[in-house]
Formats: sequence, C-alpha cells, structure tokens
Amino acid sequence: MTVALVVGAGEIGTRAVRQLLDTSGFATILLADKDTSRAKAAADALGPSVHAVEYEPGEAIPPDVEVIACALPAGIDHEVIAAAILAGVPVASSDDEHDALEQLRALDQNARSSGVTVAIGCGLAPGLTDVLAVHAAALFESVDEIRVARTGWAGPASVDTVRHERRVPVRAWRDGGWREERSRGDALVFFPDPIGGRDCRVVTGSTLLLVDAFPNVPRLSVQLGEPPRRTRFRRRFGDEGEWGAARVEVWGQRDGSHGCVAYGVVDRTAVAAGTVLAVVTARLAGVIGPVVKQPGVQGLGVLVEPVPFLAELAQRGVRSAVFEGVPVA
Amino acid sequence: MFRRVLLVLGVAGAIGAIARVRGKGEVVETTEGGWRELDGPEFR
Repeated sequence: MTVALVVGAGEIGTRAVRQLLDTSGFATILLADKDTSRAKAAADALGPSVHAVEYEPGEAIPPDVEVIACALPAGIDHEVIAAAILAGVPVASSDDEHDALEQLRALDQNARSSGVTVAIGCGLAPGLTDVLAVHAAALFESVDEIRVARTGWAGPASVDTVRHERRVPVRAWRDGGWREERSRGDALVFFPDPIGGRDCRVVTGSTLLLVDAFPNVPRLSVQLGEPPRRTRFRRRFGDEGEWGAARVEVWGQRDGSHGCVAYGVVDRTAVAAGTVLAVVTARLAGVIGPVVKQPGVQGLGVLVEPVPFLAELAQRGVRSAVFEGVPVA
Repeated sequence: MFRRVLLVLGVAGAIGAIARVRGKGEVVETTEGGWRELDGPEFR
C-alpha cells in the first residue's frame, strides 16, 4: 500500500485527496499546507486515512512517502519538486503559470539523472487538454495547428495566474518557432453547453508543453478566458469561476482534405484539475495500471497514453465531448 | 438642490445598469452542430 503526500490544501489539493481516497492502493495520504489549521480541518473532514502533516516547501520529503502531488500557487512547488528529485520520489504538479513551468523544466536534467518522473501541468488546461490534443492529433495524417482554450479557475491563486497571463506579452509558437506578439485582445471561443461562448485571449501560458508534445506542428496556441470582474452585473452561468470549460481544436490533413477535430470538457474547474492531478499521481505510483516511469520533467502530452487516461477520467466523472458539426477556421 | 442632484445621479445610474444588463444578450454560435460525449470507439 502506498503513502502519498499532497502539498496544498486548497481547491485543487483537497479534490485530489478525495480522488486518491477513491483509489484503492493508497494506505495513507499526508496533507500539508502552509496554513496548518486548514490542512488539519481538511484532513479531519476527509477521513481517517488522511493525516495533516507539517511540511513546508524547501524541507526534505518526509520518510515513507512514495509519491507526491503538488497543488500550490504558481512558483512555490519548485522547491517541493527539487526535494522530491533529491529523495528519488515521483511527483505531479498542477502549476500552470508560464514562468513557473519554465523553472520546473529547468530541473529536467536533475530528474533524468536521478531517474525521477516529474509530471507538470496536471490540471484541466494544461493537463487534460494536452492529452485530448494527442488523442485528436492521432486522427490526422499531418497536423498544422492546435488551439487550446480554457475558461474557469480553481481558486484565488488560479485567478491571479489567469490575470497575470492575460496581462503579460505573448510568446507564441508560429511557423515552428517562438515569436513575441502583441495581444490581439479577446475573441469568442465556444465551449460545450452550458458554458457556451466566452471571451478568451491568446497567452503564453502552457504553450511550451504543447511544443514539447508537438515539436513539428507549426502553430500552437493557448487562450485563457476573462477572469471574473468585480461587478454584480452581467453574471452568467460559470462567471464565478466554479464551473470551467476547455476546448481543444486540432487542424490538419486527413483523407486528402483539410479538417478539424474539436474536443471539449465542462466541469467544476477544481474538480477536473484535482481529478487529473490524482489520476496522474496514482499512475506515477503504479496504483492505476502500469507505472508511468519516464525520468525527466514532462507535460501530460508526452507522458500519458490518451485512451486509458481519458477512460479513467470518464469513470471518475470528468467526461470529454467531441464537436460534431462545422467549426469555423 | 443636493437632493435633486442625488435623484438625477440615481436615475442615471439605474438606467445605465439596466441598459448594460439588457445589452449583453446571448451569444449564438455561428457554427452548426453539437457536442457528443466521447465514448465507445474513441476509447479503444
């Protein structure tokens, strides 16, 4: 039986713990948070298998821990992952901020030489969307563009990350290379019902994870929806951010013609992200299916086999959909 | 005088708020089709 450490008792972390509890094979789940009272309250609510522990990023990984899930605000998980690599423990992280992802990827050589698998971007988008992109790309003979979009946020730290990403200059992957671009502002992206059309803006975000998975695709982009405004007017379903959605569009050639496959998913953002984080953590521990062991720091588009992963998520209630119709290029 | 100014500002604010809410409307997708849950063959 496996001992897991979940660092971060926020919206995503607690959902991940709940999913790990539903996975047979975990004997004990240790839950850590800088706010120890919050970790203790969550552990008490989640049951006797969950124990609050005092652990802070930068400290050595507690003994007996066999796998780690990080659900921390942007950038903080770097120290946890560095310690995990040192301890030889596989780790999954839900961090989705561009600079933080770059810093985590800088640990790649350390992870490889230590034989440790580090899964980054384990959430709704990045995360599930990267796997959907791989699944859709397999339907084409050649792919020339992948667009990923997300609306929704898992908590205050997630809202901060979205605001930051939408504000900073964009580095886009165009014609097989990085290019600085001025923001072209918001454009409508259509998600599955009941979210529908939402304003989204191209950001740098997790584009680099798409580049890792699809280095030969000329155009890759990530869009993020508008975070909540501080107004009580104009509220629609999903505006409060509890409900989120993601859309993946893959354009390419198949059967001699140019076409598109669009996948979408709607769920409570924190639930979807927590479920993805938990399933990846369980896969790293070898609790669900064969153990995922691919030393290095990688996103899910590289690390995960799409079909069993999507089936596992569907079994846990995170279901993806395909658009059947004629999307506009 | 002060009350009148307050009244005018209040009425203007109310009209503005109503116009803002009414003006939002629903966005209609310009494509034809719908979403179907991934199942069966897609998971093989």
